[in-house]
Amino acid sequence: MSNAVQHIVIVGGGTAGWLSACLLAARLPGKRITLVEAPDIPTIGVGEGTWPTMRETLSAIGIPEAEFLEHCDAAFKQGSRFDGWRDGSAVDSYLHPFTAPPAAEMQALAAAWQESGQKGPFAAAVSPQHSVCAANLAPRQRTMPDYAGALNYGYHLDAAKFAALLMRHATMRLGVTHIAAKVTGIEAAANGDIAALMLHGREPLDGDLFLDCSGQAALLIKGHCRAGWVDRSDISFNDRALAMQVPVQPGSPIAAQTIGTAHEAGWLWDIGLPTRRGIGCVYASRFLSDERAEEILRGYIAAKMPGADAASLTPRKLAFATGHRDRFWIGNCLAIGLSAGFIEPLEASAIVLIELSLKALADNFPQSRASMDIHAARFNDLFRYRWDRIVEFLKLHYVPSQRTEPYWLAQRAPETIPPRLAECLALWREQPPSVWDFPRVDEMFPAASQQYVLHGMGVPVPPSGAAAPARLAEIAAKARALTAALPTARDYLDRLSAPARISA
Amino acid sequence: MSQHSILNPADHGALRIHTEAGAEYGDAVMACITMPAEFREVQAHYPIVLRRDAETGKLAALALFGFEAGENLFLNADKWDARYRPMAHAVQPFLIGRSAEEGAPPQVHIDMAHARISANGEGMRLFDDAGVPTPYLETIANMLGDLDYAWHESAAFFDALEAYGLVEPFSLEVTLDNGAVQSLVGFQTIHEDRLASLDGEALAALMEQGHLARIYMVLASLAQFGNLVARKNRKVLLG
Repeated sequence: MSNAVQHIVIVGGGTAGWLSACLLAARLPGKRITLVEAPDIPTIGVGEGTWPTMRETLSAIGIPEAEFLEHCDAAFKQGSRFDGWRDGSAVDSYLHPFTAPPAAEMQALAAAWQESGQKGPFAAAVSPQHSVCAANLAPRQRTMPDYAGALNYGYHLDAAKFAALLMRHATMRLGVTHIAAKVTGIEAAANGDIAALMLHGREPLDGDLFLDCSGQAALLIKGHCRAGWVDRSDISFNDRALAMQVPVQPGSPIAAQTIGTAHEAGWLWDIGLPTRRGIGCVYASRFLSDERAEEILRGYIAAKMPGADAASLTPRKLAFATGHRDRFWIGNCLAIGLSAGFIEPLEASAIVLIELSLKALADNFPQSRASMDIHAARFNDLFRYRWDRIVEFLKLHYVPSQRTEPYWLAQRAPETIPPRLAECLALWREQPPSVWDFPRVDEMFPAASQQYVLHGMGVPVPPSGAAAPARLAEIAAKARALTAALPTARDYLDRLSAPARISA
Repeated sequence: MSQHSILNPADHGALRIHTEAGAEYGDAVMACITMPAEFREVQAHYPIVLRRDAETGKLAALALFGFEAGENLFLNADKWDARYRPMAHAVQPFLIGRSAEEGAPPQVHIDMAHARISANGEGMRLFDDAGVPTPYLETIANMLGDLDYAWHESAAFFDALEAYGLVEPFSLEVTLDNGAVQSLVGFQTIHEDRLASLDGEALAALMEQGHLARIYMVLASLAQFGNLVARKNRKVLLG
């Protein structure tokens, strides 16, 4: 068959590129896979939080969990904590944990929590993970099988080390061809497809399907395919970040969740790894100067990490545009990663979008050029839907706030709230979020996620029939049992350095 | 060498206990003491035999896990292949302690030299950060209470066996599938003929005191020797 899709060419060697290479090589044995990257381009390396989906991904790729944890300086992530988003007071904090009760039960638990007079944090009432996170515990015991846990979890990781591990795994164990060369041009086919890539100092590289993992440069999807850009900065204002990596004291506790702390014109991320904390200040340049952002960043580090020597460190400045392509898959070119779109990392959507794109591709891999346009149209529909839901869910973190700085007032100005979110918020005063609001099979943020944020931000649970107060006591008992049984993340990760370390 | 101390949150607040099964945690034993109060559960898995203390002559009951010292045929790497473990084994590394004072309530003691004491950050906490006992410790404390009660009431059971002359020496010799002969000596069991010849008054007394059912539990447990031999044959076969 002359138009069989046999050779997959990936452009770009960051997290998106190497994750694509590994996962497609593992899922589609028999396909030829080549990854080409310019030798001199550093990876962005800000996507350092994953979703629980990463466990299935790594398992499918065939990397043992301990090897991954050790080689990527990784830690467990069990959710996100939001400090200061409601009113900025000292007690203002809520958790969005990865473990949620079953949907039907969630409603009854939420109702019981509301009836109890909102006793304790919402997440603590409905999920035992709240206590486990508060005690900085690991979600699993060492004797459990790889990628299994007592609670749902993902990871915090060093993105540069992660890309390096994936590269070794792809080239040494999965048979992926690696070419270090700059792409200098594109040879188009008669139908507008990409026929081959022109490489600096090499023969042209032809392929059947091209993945654009070239990051913000978007070499293929923008450069060749001329995909349009859907700007989302009218809803999501933040466009700058200052990032720092601060070494931690040996033996210090490792946080079980990402911590997002609101400030006057944005928020700070705080991601704990065994050897360092990645801390960044995200802000909107039209509300905050770079100087003030650095002051906020340094103030946070001084307050949260007393004794850390941050004075000698210089923050890395990142500018980003918020939005995504109008189409992600055009002809025989599919954009995965930052080339497809970017939004502030408030719910760590970057890496999971890579995984979801690859799952959609591998589950529906076009066997021939003839079916490719059908797959492309479906893919574009699905990911436009996903981007819309991401944009709305991130906005939900801001809208119920009572903070009064100009930035926060602007965040909840009605004209900046997507109509579908405004509709949902109106409905959720009368009925809880449900599958009626999020009907797709693989929703990224199902009703439970919405509830964690809504009630964490102080929006009351609407009245409903069936409350289950007895179950609240069972969850409290489960939380006690788990906090007794799980090791601290620090203990777990420090004892990983096994003799069986594979050579780099 | 054991090293007992009274359990308390100040000294043991961060202590963790390995709760899974394993030879490295002291589970490679051929028998453990069992209480008449738990015979119903024990006879469903293990043979129950009696043993007379060489010095005091007092009787005790044992649940058998194997045929020779250090052999536990129910231990399979980190799994204990039975739904019930005798209380005296399951409470390890905890013990009941009493102060010298008459009538003082029993205390939870812990053997800090026991292999179940964790030194690697894994295992079950005994107290939470506020010093409140964890559900695990609550379970252990309940079991220690049951064990203490069962131990005290067991004396009446053994006294009754002696009074009615219901104990006789027991030895067992079985030929394994590979031809090797496995033997057990030095134990006692229920004298079945004597039991069968008891008159109605004696039987009524034994029943009233709650001993009769437990006597039959011991007899029924002897059927577990067949399973124990099968486990031994399987182990020999698998090398």
